[in-house]
Amino acid sequence: MRNWRYIVYIVVISLAISFPFYAGVHPIHVATTILSLLALALSWDILLRGGQLSLGVSAFFGIGSYTTVLTHLNWEVSPLLSIVLGGLAAGVVALVIGLAVLRLRGLYFAIVTLALTFIFIVIVRNLTDLTGGAIGKLIPSVIFGGDPAMIYWLTLAIAVATIITSEIFQKTRIHFALTSIRNNEIAAKSSGIDIFKYLLFAFVVTAVIQGVVGGVHAQRFAFVSPEESFSLTFTILPLAMCLLGGSFSTLGSVIGAGGLGVLAEYLRLMMPRGHLAIYGLVMVMAILLMPKGIVGTIREQLVRRKTASS
Amino acid sequence: MSVLRIENLTRRFGGLVALSGVNLELRENEILGLIGPNGAGKTTLVNVISGIYLPNSGRIIFDGKDVTESPAHIRCRLGIGRTFQIIQPNQNLNVLENVMVGSLFGQGAGLKEARRKAQEICQFLGLSRIERDITRLTVLEIKKMEMAHALATQPKVLLLDEIMTGLNIDEAREVIELVRKIRDQGMTICVIEHMMRIIKELTDRVLVLDRGEVIAEGLYEEVSNDPRVISAYLGEEE
Repeated sequence: MRNWRYIVYIVVISLAISFPFYAGVHPIHVATTILSLLALALSWDILLRGGQLSLGVSAFFGIGSYTTVLTHLNWEVSPLLSIVLGGLAAGVVALVIGLAVLRLRGLYFAIVTLALTFIFIVIVRNLTDLTGGAIGKLIPSVIFGGDPAMIYWLTLAIAVATIITSEIFQKTRIHFALTSIRNNEIAAKSSGIDIFKYLLFAFVVTAVIQGVVGGVHAQRFAFVSPEESFSLTFTILPLAMCLLGGSFSTLGSVIGAGGLGVLAEYLRLMMPRGHLAIYGLVMVMAILLMPKGIVGTIREQLVRRKTASS
Repeated sequence: MSVLRIENLTRRFGGLVALSGVNLELRENEILGLIGPNGAGKTTLVNVISGIYLPNSGRIIFDGKDVTESPAHIRCRLGIGRTFQIIQPNQNLNVLENVMVGSLFGQGAGLKEARRKAQEICQFLGLSRIERDITRLTVLEIKKMEMAHALATQPKVLLLDEIMTGLNIDEAREVIELVRKIRDQGMTICVIEHMMRIIKELTDRVLVLDRGEVIAEGLYEEVSNDPRVISAYLGEEE
């Protein structure tokens, strides 16, 4: 059983790595987008495991984008290094903001993290000399000379790193801390868990991921602007993917991102007008019929079958 | 020797005085019973001792250290363990993993060590089939798991908040035996309880709380004959 699982991993990873060799340019672009959304979805889920619903993904995505472009333009650092700096900047901002924001819970936390996005839009728009204001900034050349395969591999590496991070969070004591905090904070405290420390750690780690994804996005499209880089799409799409696939698991976000990503692209090609209506309908049906997501529902059925037979 | 000393503790919730000038001393290796009618402030007292609420005034001295301002997770690590009246076990973890949380964070054990310690404690309490989903546990098993979880933090003082509620006589008797067994391991225990019979059988000393104040303290026989206690508590019960 265990070997069988490793074989699946190897097959999936080899298929993913070799994808640019047998796919055309358009599928590579779609896959790249799906992989970056996958990393965002998974990072959002990691914080959710501690019971904190953040709507601030776009904020850290945008900070990563801007830092990447500005350090690349002003300090002439290499594109790859600028992406790393984008992630670090998002992490530092998350650390500072987290010290205040992580004292809030539930809807208050969600609303304040949502507000972060708008605060940064205003800041970026007004620091015209540095950020280019409402127009944004352009990079003269795209990363890797615009080679879609290279950009795909870079994004794949980030997605895999996020998956590994997620699995580390699931397999170590962090898992016990986060799930206890989600279950009941008073009981968690009384078990000796430093709630604030664990939530801050998860908040910063996930912000770094979101910043890096934002950085790659900015390098890939070679520009930043307030509305594009801080677009709420980067909060809402990952959230929908995670919920559809199933929260609190690595596999859930992977399946959700893959499924929803491919479906969205297929619908867009099939019916250029009105595909969003079908997309919305699928989302509503899925959440009504499978509130625990695809992975959660399948797992529940397996447990039910197991207990029924025993 | 006192392990835990509470001096002149007051806690208010808005206009309501939940605890008013409470003094309490837990002596090493004793079982103290904490009783009182509904709303007397028993659970508030446990919450203040374990650090869920901070007191408005007064001091809490644990093991020679002033912990009045310490956060709850620090107090747990210092050795104040507790159970909850309304138990909310973590449904995302199985029985063993729920207990492991205590040893992982209460004592800072690694995963392997925490697992081994949790297994030992479950065995000690007679909790079997510990890889099970917790949704299928009986009330007694849930109570045992809650105790195991508290024990796994390796406390010096264990506060048991209405651990017998919901158990039948035989089950309560089993838990009484377990509490004695835990005490024999060197633990100091404070039992909060409604049922006088259990208090009589289990405790060395009793403290009676009514409307946030200590109205009597002493041996069960003395306390149960105190007219103030009878009017406040036993009078309603009989």
